[in-house]
Amino acid sequence: MAIPLPTSPCWQKLANGGLAALRTNNVATQMLIKRMERSTAPAAQKAAEIHEYYAKWERSLADEIVQFNRG
Amino acid sequence: MKSFNSTVAKSQPTNGLLAIAEAVALIEAGLPLSIAGPESAMDMLPAGNWIGGTTPYFMTVEGGRVITEGQVFVTDLSRMGSVSVAVYDADHLADISGNGPEHGFSLAIIPAGSVCHERFANEAADYPQAFLSPTVGWIAGVDLADPTASAKVYDGTGPTKHADRAVVAHIAQPEDVLASIEIVNPFKPGDGDVLRFENTDFAPTHCIVNGQPTNFAAYLVEHGMEGGMLPLIGDFAGAPINVSIKSVDRDTQVATLYAPVFPGVDYRFAAPLVDYAGTFREKLANHSLEGAVWSCNCILNFLHGSLEGKAIGGIAGPVTFGEIAYQLLNQTMVLVRQNAPDENEG
Repeated sequence: MAIPLPTSPCWQKLANGGLAALRTNNVATQMLIKRMERSTAPAAQKAAEIHEYYAKWERSLADEIVQFNRG
Repeated sequence: MKSFNSTVAKSQPTNGLLAIAEAVALIEAGLPLSIAGPESAMDMLPAGNWIGGTTPYFMTVEGGRVITEGQVFVTDLSRMGSVSVAVYDADHLADISGNGPEHGFSLAIIPAGSVCHERFANEAADYPQAFLSPTVGWIAGVDLADPTASAKVYDGTGPTKHADRAVVAHIAQPEDVLASIEIVNPFKPGDGDVLRFENTDFAPTHCIVNGQPTNFAAYLVEHGMEGGMLPLIGDFAGAPINVSIKSVDRDTQVATLYAPVFPGVDYRFAAPLVDYAGTFREKLANHSLEGAVWSCNCILNFLHGSLEGKAIGGIAGPVTFGEIAYQLLNQTMVLVRQNAPDENEG
């Protein structure tokens, strides 16, 4: 499944707390979620970072990408 | 389920204990290697394409081993990808992931008790490329029976021995190969208090227990946790990330940890294990080892689980003074599998 474009509002939604609703047992994603929660970076920066992560690991994170494509 | 052989077999890449002469032969054959062993043995190795670190403790398929001389644990990295060796000082640890391959991962070894150890522990989770260019690895240690020993790491290209550097094998994989970095944690959080901390700290003076500021050392003593058998488990969005108790000084009221706690994370003490080795064995039996190419396990698991001579599953690797999977972990087994993108931490 292709990931949404960087301009998709889904990335902002994930950066603004949407990651917490994601169901995953991928330890890297879980650590990234905690990093985003703890970060004081602007939401746009977080959104870009989240997009970059999913673009990089698209092949192995299909189950997660399906979840926020649905939402 | 596939077993990960700890012995040298001609049909499989090396991942096991070797005599010095056997290790030298592999180095001189030009293989890229990761090597762990006692300092006296590591000092005998010639220049080549390898990285290494000190530890006399190992897990093999046959069980835990303590090797104080004459052998080293060798992992042939050639099966994982194309390897380049690098060395980083404490001010450039972010470059481990920053210089990581576009496809692949970096295998890092850092000496216990060094500035590099402390800086990596505190900062790794926030490195810009931490989750885009993964780092795995381990903290080198010492023979606990030798109070004068200090941990060392080795840049095999010299070879050069370092007390405060990170040595790294950057492993570039083909695009169709995917490395899966996984953890096996024998512990589950207990149902006790939730602890939070205000700062990133190896020696927090205070914690917040159920909303109330509390002296951390006194809390550990009061709850029988000063012995360090049970780690604190941080809830990282569901991932159980252990922080182990190193010591508690009742006089100075200072408690020290083997990894830092972080603000913004809920911690609970682990539930006790009735059968430490048995729990680990069961966890590993339920964790796919298909495509496993590398692993390490914690010295505290080795000691508290009395793993010397006990087999817990088909994973061979060094026993370490801290484990690295993106960030520093304690009391955890870390493993890397290749070509298994659909299965993760179990």
